Amino acid sequence: MSTVETPVASSNEAPPPSPLKRIATYAANQQFILFLVLIGVMIFFDFHNTRFFGTSEFTNLLVDFSEAVLIAAAEMYVITSGGIDLSVGSTIAVSTVVGAYAIQYLEGHHFGEFPSLLVGTFVCAGVGGVVGTINALLITKARLVPFVATLVTLSMGEGLALVFSKGGTVGYDPAAAVWSSTGFWIFRWLTLIVLGITVILGIVLHVSRYGRYNFAIGSNPFAARAAGINVNRHVASVYVLSGVLAGLTGMIWYFNSSGGAPQNGIGNELEAIAAVVIGGVSLVGGVGRFSGIILGVAILTVVHDGLVFINVATTWNEVVVAGFIALAAVLQSLSSGSKRRT
Amino acid sequence: MTNEREPILELRNINKSYGSVKALTDVSFKAYAGEVIGLVGDNGAGKSSLIKTISGVHNPDSGELIVDGVTRHWKSPHDSMAAGIETLYQDSGLAPDLTIGSNIFLGRELEKKGILGKLGFLDQRAMERKALEELEKVGITVPLSKRTVSQLSGGQRQAVAIGRAAMWAQHVIILDEPTNHLGARQSLEVLKVISAARDHGLCVLFISHTLPHVLEVTDRIIVLRLGRVVKDALTSDFTVESLLGTITGLNT
Repeated sequence: MSTVETPVASSNEAPPPSPLKRIATYAANQQFILFLVLIGVMIFFDFHNTRFFGTSEFTNLLVDFSEAVLIAAAEMYVITSGGIDLSVGSTIAVSTVVGAYAIQYLEGHHFGEFPSLLVGTFVCAGVGGVVGTINALLITKARLVPFVATLVTLSMGEGLALVFSKGGTVGYDPAAAVWSSTGFWIFRWLTLIVLGITVILGIVLHVSRYGRYNFAIGSNPFAARAAGINVNRHVASVYVLSGVLAGLTGMIWYFNSSGGAPQNGIGNELEAIAAVVIGGVSLVGGVGRFSGIILGVAILTVVHDGLVFINVATTWNEVVVAGFIALAAVLQSLSSGSKRRT
Repeated sequence: MTNEREPILELRNINKSYGSVKALTDVSFKAYAGEVIGLVGDNGAGKSSLIKTISGVHNPDSGELIVDGVTRHWKSPHDSMAAGIETLYQDSGLAPDLTIGSNIFLGRELEKKGILGKLGFLDQRAMERKALEELEKVGITVPLSKRTVSQLSGGQRQAVAIGRAAMWAQHVIILDEPTNHLGARQSLEVLKVISAARDHGLCVLFISHTLPHVLEVTDRIIVLRLGRVVKDALTSDFTVESLLGTITGLNT
């Protein structure tokens, strides 16, 4: 937070704000409020069940976090570019099923455990990439609005997952779960890989040319085009990226549920969008901080797991999540209202 | 307006049709560095077709387009930008959620030095600093380039958009209705920026329906009617009434 104070050489700059004003600025910052909410929620659960902060629970929290964070990041990229991707949830399902078949085949043909899982990961990412490419073509070539285009692939993915798997789990693979549960301290290796990808996605969004174009297109596609940016190509690449991230999440589900089940990930697009909204990202595009959606995913994960821990029926989960979305949305409209007044 | 000088932009007998509709007929004129030219005409007079021809959105059916002494054939707007022509279309200006600096450098971002730059990392600090410097050169003082464009007034926004065009153009900037939707005081700001761009040696093509603005800021006015140049004269030769008459065809 100290970097904010670095002076910028400029003659017409306002004098530095008073400390009180600076505190007020931080307090009005949505990320800061989210951080307090996250801490508050964790303390609340720990108060009700002191084992909540235990190492094993933290490991589970991180596993659940890693199941949700990549598609939330994907949704963040898509939404800040001015679109929406409803298909990430069903892409998880279809990729986990196809990936499971691939792994089953390879292991049946005397491939080792590790190479099979590695190839399976690429197959999952590839299936996601195909879905993303279909979205990209529907949006940039057939000129469908993103909502409709991804609604098409949402239904298609959900249906194909059931068709391919014939309704059951493909390739029961407890060894994968064992392999994925190794790691050190509270981290599993798988969690660390996901966190690494997440950090890279955040950096790319905020400090690279690609991320800059993403915000520019979401903010004003006409200005972006006039500035020489190939808007169609960028938009297409964002949907492919989103598909690939959903495909990788399909592989995470494979590890965590020991096989490819067609109901894996179904409906998770709404959780991802919820995390994006809670994180303070504008749904019309152009505005948002990556740290916001990380906090959004963290809050949703902690609430989800915490309710189980304090013996509240999981059916209440959605109701609590609804409360958080409402809170975040109200905060956002209030803060943009105060901006309008100044 | 000394005619011994080489024109920076010259059009010779430009023709353009859309199907059976003739949009431009034998349009010819010369434009020089350091002058503001008003391009006026009623709706459908061919202003938009003319801008698009000069900025490379489309090619003329026949005729010659000469920039800086060289005959040009644009394949895309990129080519005209590379030749030193910047166009500011109506309402396409800036990305409101990006900072002023990011907007100024949009599509031409500065990258960090070394390996980080090769990976596509941007040098935001340098962009913000240079944006302020360059805007000040054309007489625009913005509070702080770290602000987003949405925090600026309409007049400041348009001034920044024109400043952006003036900063990147080597020869010509084309401004399509830059004072539209602006109040009187904000329009004045914009007109000041246009004068500053001219004083920097740029040729400004100013397209507007607001005739008092045209009369105030331009050196010369070219009137288009039904795709033809019907008058090309010094601004001092016009009054609002005579200009209106020429546009509508009442007095020829």
